[in-house]
Amino acid sequence: MPESRAQEPFEDRLSAALRDTGDRFDADRAALAAGGLARGHRTRLRRRAGVLGGAAGIALIGVGGALLLPGGGDSAGARQTPAAALTSSTVPSPSAAYSGDDLLRALKGLLPEGAVGQEEAQGPGPGPGLPPYARLVFDDGKGAAAVGVGLGRVEPGSREVRELTTCPDRTFVAYDACTTRRLADGSLLMVFQGYEYPDRRVDTKWWSAELVTARGQHVTVNEWNSPAEKDAPITRDRPPLSPAELEKIATADVWRRVVDAIPGEPEAGEEAGASATPSRMPEPSGEGIAEAFLSLMPEGLDVVTKGAQETGYAYLVVDDGKGRSLVQVNVQPDMRDSRDELYGDAERRPDGTLVATSQGPGEKGGAGVVMWTVDTMRTDGRRVVISAFNTGAQHQEATRQAPALTMEQLEEMALSPRWTRVR
Amino acid sequence: MRRARADEYGEFAEARAGHLYRSACLMTAGDTHLAEDLVQETLGRLYVRWGHVSRVENPAAYAQTVLTRVFLAHRRRRGNGERATDVFPDLPGAPDGDAPLRLTLLDALARLPAKDRAVIVLRYWEDRSVEQTADVLNVSSAAVRTRCSRALGRLRGLLGEELSEYAGR
Repeated sequence: MPESRAQEPFEDRLSAALRDTGDRFDADRAALAAGGLARGHRTRLRRRAGVLGGAAGIALIGVGGALLLPGGGDSAGARQTPAAALTSSTVPSPSAAYSGDDLLRALKGLLPEGAVGQEEAQGPGPGPGLPPYARLVFDDGKGAAAVGVGLGRVEPGSREVRELTTCPDRTFVAYDACTTRRLADGSLLMVFQGYEYPDRRVDTKWWSAELVTARGQHVTVNEWNSPAEKDAPITRDRPPLSPAELEKIATADVWRRVVDAIPGEPEAGEEAGASATPSRMPEPSGEGIAEAFLSLMPEGLDVVTKGAQETGYAYLVVDDGKGRSLVQVNVQPDMRDSRDELYGDAERRPDGTLVATSQGPGEKGGAGVVMWTVDTMRTDGRRVVISAFNTGAQHQEATRQAPALTMEQLEEMALSPRWTRVR
Repeated sequence: MRRARADEYGEFAEARAGHLYRSACLMTAGDTHLAEDLVQETLGRLYVRWGHVSRVENPAAYAQTVLTRVFLAHRRRRGNGERATDVFPDLPGAPDGDAPLRLTLLDALARLPAKDRAVIVLRYWEDRSVEQTADVLNVSSAAVRTRCSRALGRLRGLLGEELSEYAGR
C-alpha cells in the first residue's frame, strides 16, 4: 500500500502529509475553549456598553480628562445634525459619512439638560470593521453617569432579533423592570432596567433600550448609575435617563442613517473586520522591496543574508561587526481601513504620516531577544513597518545587546520617500 | 447568554477546539503560540454570535471560516507576520521519528504567502471545494484556482521529493 502512494497525484500526497502533520499538534482543548469564552464575555461587555473601540474602551472611562474633545471651532451646545456637522469633523474620512464626533453631537443633542464629559466615539469606518458607537459621562446635576449608544445591523426577522428584544428569563437574570413592544413603524423595542451583574453583587444599575427596526437597523442605548460600568462606586440611586428618555434616544432617526452608512458586511458578520477582500492596489513585489531596503541600509553594515516573500515583505540579516541582526520590512499598499486600530496612539507628522514606535521582547521565544519597530502609514494608506532584532533569527537566543540599527535609523528608513516608488 | 445556550456553546467549543487548533497550526506554519491565540479569538467571536452560529447549517464549517478570516486579518494587520523560514524556522519540538517530514512540510508552508497557505489548508486539509474556499476568502473561484495552482507548484518544487519519501514509508 505505501508504495502505491508515490503514484498518487501530488495533491493526494499533500493531503496525507497535511493530515499527518496536523494531527501531531495537540491542544489543551478545555483551555482553548475557556480562553475563547473569556474573550467572548469581554466583547459582550464592551458591546453592551456601546464601547466597541477595542480593549482600551472600558479602561478609558474614568480617565476621560486625557481624551481630546472634538471640534474646537464648534459653538458649544449647538445642536447640529450629523450631516451638517460633517465638515467640522476632526478626522474626515473620505468614505465615512459620519465621524465619531458626529455621533457624539447627535447623542448630546438628544440628552436632557446637563453636563457632559469623557467623550469617546467611533463612526462607521471606510471598510467593514468595528461597529460605530458613542459614549460619554452625563451629569444632570444629581451625579455623573456613563451613557453610551452602540449601532449595528442584524438580520431582520432572525432569532437574533428576537433574542435582542425579548426580556430575559428571571431565572437567570435579576432585573427590576422590562418591557417589549412593537412600534408603529414595525420596529421592536425593549427597555430593560436591571443590574450590571445579573447576580447583583454590586449596586451598579444598568438600564438599556434595544431597538431593532424592520430593516434590521440595531440601536442600543445604555446607561448606568455610575460614571463607569463594572465596579466603580455608584454616584446616584438610579441612572439619569428615564425609560421614556431612553426610548426617545433609541428611536431617533439619526442612528438609522448612521447604521445605513456602515459598509456592507459578509454573512459571517462579526468577523467582517477580518474580511479577506483583496485591497484594490496590489502589494509591491518582495524583490522591489528588498532592493529599496538594501539601498536605504546605513553604511558600515555587512549584509549577511537577504530574502523576500513574493510580495509585501523582505528581510536582511546585517552585521556591524558586533553580531548578526535581523531587520525586516513590510510594505502594504493601503491600510486606511485599519488606521484606528493600528495607529490609535501614533504620532502624526506635519505631512500627515502616522508613526508608531515600539521596543519590546521578541515574539518567537528566542532568549533575550528584543524587537524594535517603527510602523508608519502615509496619507494614501501605504504602510511601511520596519523591525530590527538583536539576533540573526528571532527564535534563536540574542547574540548582541541591541539591534544593529537605532530607532532613529529605523525611522529614517521607514519614512524614506523611496518606498512610495516601490511597485 | 441563557444557560442552555451557554452549555451548547461550551460543548461545541470544546469539541471543535482541537481541530481548529490543528488547522491554525498549519495555517501559521507551526507557530503554536499564534495558533492558540487565533483559536481563542475565533471561539470568542463565535460566542458573541452564538445565536446566529448555532442555527447555521454547519457550525463547524462556520467556525473554520471565522478562523481563516481571523488569521488573514491578523496577518494583514500585523504586517510583520510573513516569515521566510531560512531565518525563522520557528517550529515546535519534533517528538518522534517523522520529524524530518514535518519540518519540511511546515517549512514549505512558511514560504507561501499567508493567503496561499489559507487556500492550501482549506482545500487539502479541510477538503473544501474551490467554490467553498472562494466563499471563505471572499474572492472569486477563479482567484482561488490561480492561487491554488501557484501554491501547489511552489510546494511541489519545495517538497516533491520529500512527499515521495513520505508516501513510500
